[in-house]
Amino acid sequence: MDKPILNISHVSRNVGDIKILSDISVSFYQNKIYAILGPSGSGKSSLLRLLNRLDDPGSGEIIYNGKNINSYPVCELRKKIGYLFQTPYLFEKTLKDNFLFVDKEISDDQIAALLEKVHLPQKMLDSSVEKLSVGEKQRVAFARLLLTKPEILLLDEPTSALDPSITESLEKFIQEITLKENLTTIIVTHNPEQAIRFGQQGILLSGGKIAESGDIKSLLESPQSDAGKRYKARELS
Amino acid sequence: MNNPGITEVLLSLILVAISIAISRFWKIEVEKDIAIGSIRSFIQLIAVGYALNFIFDLESIWLILATLVVMSLVGAQAAMNRVKKINSPYLLISFSIMFGSFFTIGLMAVLQIITFEARYIIPLGGMVIGNSMNAAALSINRITSDIHSNRHAVETALSLGKSWRTASLMYFRNAVTTGMIAILNNMKTVGLVALPGAMTGMILAGADPLDAVLLQIIVMYMILMAVAVTSVVVVELTVRQLFTPNHQLK
Repeated sequence: MDKPILNISHVSRNVGDIKILSDISVSFYQNKIYAILGPSGSGKSSLLRLLNRLDDPGSGEIIYNGKNINSYPVCELRKKIGYLFQTPYLFEKTLKDNFLFVDKEISDDQIAALLEKVHLPQKMLDSSVEKLSVGEKQRVAFARLLLTKPEILLLDEPTSALDPSITESLEKFIQEITLKENLTTIIVTHNPEQAIRFGQQGILLSGGKIAESGDIKSLLESPQSDAGKRYKARELS
Repeated sequence: MNNPGITEVLLSLILVAISIAISRFWKIEVEKDIAIGSIRSFIQLIAVGYALNFIFDLESIWLILATLVVMSLVGAQAAMNRVKKINSPYLLISFSIMFGSFFTIGLMAVLQIITFEARYIIPLGGMVIGNSMNAAALSINRITSDIHSNRHAVETALSLGKSWRTASLMYFRNAVTTGMIAILNNMKTVGLVALPGAMTGMILAGADPLDAVLLQIIVMYMILMAVAVTSVVVVELTVRQLFTPNHQLK
């Protein structure tokens, strides 16, 4: 089997006296999509924040491309392990400014190509970000993230604010870009159906621990752990 | 106008009495505050008068510097009252005020705009330190509140691989502007709305109004520089504390 691009080993994180993540160990491989599932407060977003190094774990280690993530210059690491927040934040004032913020040298044609990837028209280039819908903002934020040329995409509920037709096209785009660009995509989702649509690996978190992981269909249809059974009963009933 | 003596000061107590009467008549209930404030300001100013006489007579460079340091430390204590969420705020604000004030006064002395004598350094230092104190308090509060209330924006920039410096740059500039806003507004309206203190004092003491104006211009520029330097230093030292060495927001 190939070496994992990202390997999390016995990672824990506390905030004050509260245990947010506890003894997390999991590996991620290139060209695959992973869905992280679990109830609210189970540590899904906290795990993504550790991978983008917005936070550091209290113990354990995270290995990226064979080296501890602490050994990379943090700003360079964040470009390679890109993070899309659940609620997109766009900088003032125009859509174009958001791309220039990441890369001052970028041309209008390059921005247009990125916008096309997320199904937004080129004519929006000079639109004010205030006029965009939440769904459009999310897609602009996605396109902006792609500008950093990430190898790993961390997507925190990327479609939670989108309507079904846009959700479908964005899901398709995520699948396409993962395969085409040899990416590893890790998606936090509340939606088991969406996790199944991605149809690959799943990780179920419960109380900051991995309850179980593996093939997403098996994980959701015939869970082995008590937490998995409870999750199935609540989310798929 | 004759130089005021104790008789004039006692007569001016009539003004305090009228203020107390106004408070009592309209039930504003600040009579006690007026009485305490009047007595306190009387004692403080008389004490300062004696202290200044002593300092002016000795004309010791060390005593002048010590006086400026004490003024800065008292100013830092006043500026610190509203500051939260940072480590060692007293040290940070004291340093910023002293840096801004001493740099400005020192430069003026080197350029021979002022003579390094207690009679000039102490009152000008007081003006510089007082304004730096206000600038430090406003700037530090603005940068801490802006960074925390815009956490999502800052972390978005960090997540895209930007340094803490880039992620906080807009808030840095806003905080420095906030510290400078009072002097910038003053410079726009000086002389048109009210005559500033130094100029008023000189005119009352019998100086030629044009001489008073020249001094006032120097005072304005002096305050401008001190406030600019203090604001930049205090915001720089504060914003560094809000991030970890790994470009993470604390």
